Amino acid sequence: MSGFTWRSASRICVLLLVSSLIVIPLAATILGGFKTDGELRAEPFGLPDVWRTEYYAEIFADTRFWRYLWNSLVISLLTVALTLILGSMAAYAFAQAKFFGSRFLFSYLLLGLMFPFAAAIMPLFLTVRDLGILDTPWGVILPQVAFGLAFSIMFFRTFFKQMPPELFEAARVDGCGYIRFYFYFTLPLSTPILATIAVFVFVQSWNNYLLPLIMLNDRAGYTWTLGAMDYRGEYISSWNRTLAFMTMTLTPAVVFFIAAQKYIVAGLTGGSVKG
Amino acid sequence: MAEVRLEGVKKCFGAVKVIPKLDLTIADGSFTVLVGPSGCGKSTLLRLIAGLEETTAGQILIDGVDVTDREPSDRSIAMVFQSYALYPHMTVAQNIGFGLRLARKPRSEIRRRVEEAAEILQLQALLDRKPRQLSGGQRQRVAIGRAIVRKPKVFLFDEPLSNLDAALRTQMRVELAELHAKLDATMIYVTHDQVEAMTMADQIVIMDGGIVQQSGSPMTLYDRPANPFVAGFIGSPRMNLLEGTVASDAGAELIGVRPEHFVLSNDAGSWEGRVRYAEHLGSDTVAYVDVEGVGSVTVRVSGEVPVRAGDRVFLTPNQARLHKFAGDRRLAA
Repeated sequence: MSGFTWRSASRICVLLLVSSLIVIPLAATILGGFKTDGELRAEPFGLPDVWRTEYYAEIFADTRFWRYLWNSLVISLLTVALTLILGSMAAYAFAQAKFFGSRFLFSYLLLGLMFPFAAAIMPLFLTVRDLGILDTPWGVILPQVAFGLAFSIMFFRTFFKQMPPELFEAARVDGCGYIRFYFYFTLPLSTPILATIAVFVFVQSWNNYLLPLIMLNDRAGYTWTLGAMDYRGEYISSWNRTLAFMTMTLTPAVVFFIAAQKYIVAGLTGGSVKG
Repeated sequence: MAEVRLEGVKKCFGAVKVIPKLDLTIADGSFTVLVGPSGCGKSTLLRLIAGLEETTAGQILIDGVDVTDREPSDRSIAMVFQSYALYPHMTVAQNIGFGLRLARKPRSEIRRRVEEAAEILQLQALLDRKPRQLSGGQRQRVAIGRAIVRKPKVFLFDEPLSNLDAALRTQMRVELAELHAKLDATMIYVTHDQVEAMTMADQIVIMDGGIVQQSGSPMTLYDRPANPFVAGFIGSPRMNLLEGTVASDAGAELIGVRPEHFVLSNDAGSWEGRVRYAEHLGSDTVAYVDVEGVGSVTVRVSGEVPVRAGDRVFLTPNQARLHKFAGDRRLAA
């Protein structure tokens, strides 16, 4: 083991500082759910004197909480599924097939990256209303997919382009066309990028507040972000309940990230080409 | 087994003519090697036969059937790539059997044929491994297994040994030659290595600038090269191509003498020169000699000959093995 060096000490300090920016608020949120309101005001970051589980239990027992969570989950999973399917298929066409206007079309799609979500909220609302999907999960899912496509196509295309062209040629000799190649090779070999995009899209959708706020009016269809507001309105002074609620709603996103994390490793194509 | 015939095949990439117009017949059951320098169009020609590139004009016939517009998988061909192109997420068995799986063959038949191929290539112990767990030579064998299992009429090899080290290359060369004998199939093999071409081929096709310079058996090309390009390409060290008075005295514009067709002596000979450098290989001695009035000449002598840089030596070319050229063609001997 090497001894003490100023270099590693300063590195540890910087890492501690950066991680504390995330860990401290997160810990305060989790711990806040175990404290009384008075304790929370007096000592927001410390450990609770008595670990009170009743606020968590209250939320656990609340059917509204589970409904919000379910709504968010349905919307996020469908958004992820649609973005991955559409994005990867489009990117595959851009990466593999040569066709007239492909560059123009790709640039057109990338324009979506420059368009801020909030700026489009009014026309988005009108379009969703005209489509008759206002107040349904699709009213949130479809705009989220549309806005997620630009960046997912860009990432997918870069990844697909790195696939050795001989792989497609060998598969072609074996009798594989473009569509079969997509299912037999492109998708199984792209788990790292699929997982990365899935995490991005899921977290973005899970935490989306503005779009559900505009599109969903019926309380039964609320996502957890709207539900949180609902809680805060009901227990305006009850921050401990709100924090307990936040902790519970954070869990699925964290679980999803941890599950996908192990796939976010490149190098799956190692060994296909050359030694 | 099948004959491959190319009739008036042309290939252009945009304005660039890679293969101007080419007619070639590859005999049934032969081991034909397409050889030539980088960019000569040999790989393109192979890819045209495979169907991975579309012809600009002309026809490709395999076993008498016009396959010009057919997909690669409908041509009864199998191809082995320089980079192996193994499917990284599949095991060796899945790699080999993938083509059969796509052709919806029964599971039992796929297993039987994969095992047959594995036996031929001694891959039985590796069937459950992934490509990344294999060495270069093993990977290449899997790539060949993938070709064998489809029982194609024609095997196409695109520089399959160029990623292997020298020792493995020699071993695989022998294995491929044995495989050809065992399968008795038509094989077309692309390489830029003339040693591979000479040692493996029944027929060598030498290409340059998309044009077939000469085709024939290795010894025909060695003994009677059709033009100075072929003369210089076949043989190692390369043939001495000499111009000037020494050529005109022999009644040609250019004469060629292979390094092994000289007699080297210390006291008498037709040409006198000074050794610039000598390589002692044990089995052979290669001397680079500056000959006055002739130029630089490479000489190869069997066995160890004690010549050193700076020595004066005499060279006598074997007149019977002199190659005479005028312009771009061979003069009748």
